[in-house]
Amino acid sequence: MASQIVMDRTGDTRHTFDIHDRAEVEKAERRFRELTGAGFTAAVRSGPGEQRVIRAFDPTAEETLFYPRLVGG
Amino acid sequence: MTQQIVLAICSFALALLGTLLLSALSLVVARSGSCARAFRYETEARALTLLKEWLSPKQRACYERFRYFDVVGSDTGTRYRIHHGTQTNIEELGITGHQVCKWCFVPDGDLVAGDVMLAQKIALETNERGALSVAHRSFVSSGPRRF
Repeated sequence: MASQIVMDRTGDTRHTFDIHDRAEVEKAERRFRELTGAGFTAAVRSGPGEQRVIRAFDPTAEETLFYPRLVGG
Repeated sequence: MTQQIVLAICSFALALLGTLLLSALSLVVARSGSCARAFRYETEARALTLLKEWLSPKQRACYERFRYFDVVGSDTGTRYRIHHGTQTNIEELGITGHQVCKWCFVPDGDLVAGDVMLAQKIALETNERGALSVAHRSFVSSGPRRF
């Protein structure tokens, strides 16, 4: 199972999907497009403490984290 | 005389009713406050768990000991210290480790410290210039940190 973690006021909301289930993958891809379209940044872990930002949906990513657009504090 | 007695009884009954209503209201407010605190605590704990999962072993050890961790900017190699907190919690460090200035940028929305620090780490380590382009810079030292 893969998961998409979306930061929000509850800490985060997790959406899991089976990478072998086409319908679930399509749903996850739609969610990816909606979130990144709304200004969220998507990142995947590439090693201990390391990560890379992705611009396109990666169905093989075990865990994708989304955080909202950055603003000056 | 009878009227006065009835009036007194009615006044007493109203006062009693008012007291009961106030007590009930206080109880509801106290319970909702307690629920809100529990929710906030749970949210913060979940965000901190997520943060620690994404930190390197060195960063995690540092955070657990000092409530801050260091990151290296992806574009300039500059070292930043991210303190526990949600506002003006990033220090830019010079080559000797002294504070050069403070930066403040956060993910939009009312997020808790763990989430804010994780977004700051990822942003600085993957897109330092982009992150700092929206950030506020401060050169004022506010004395001992109290996040």
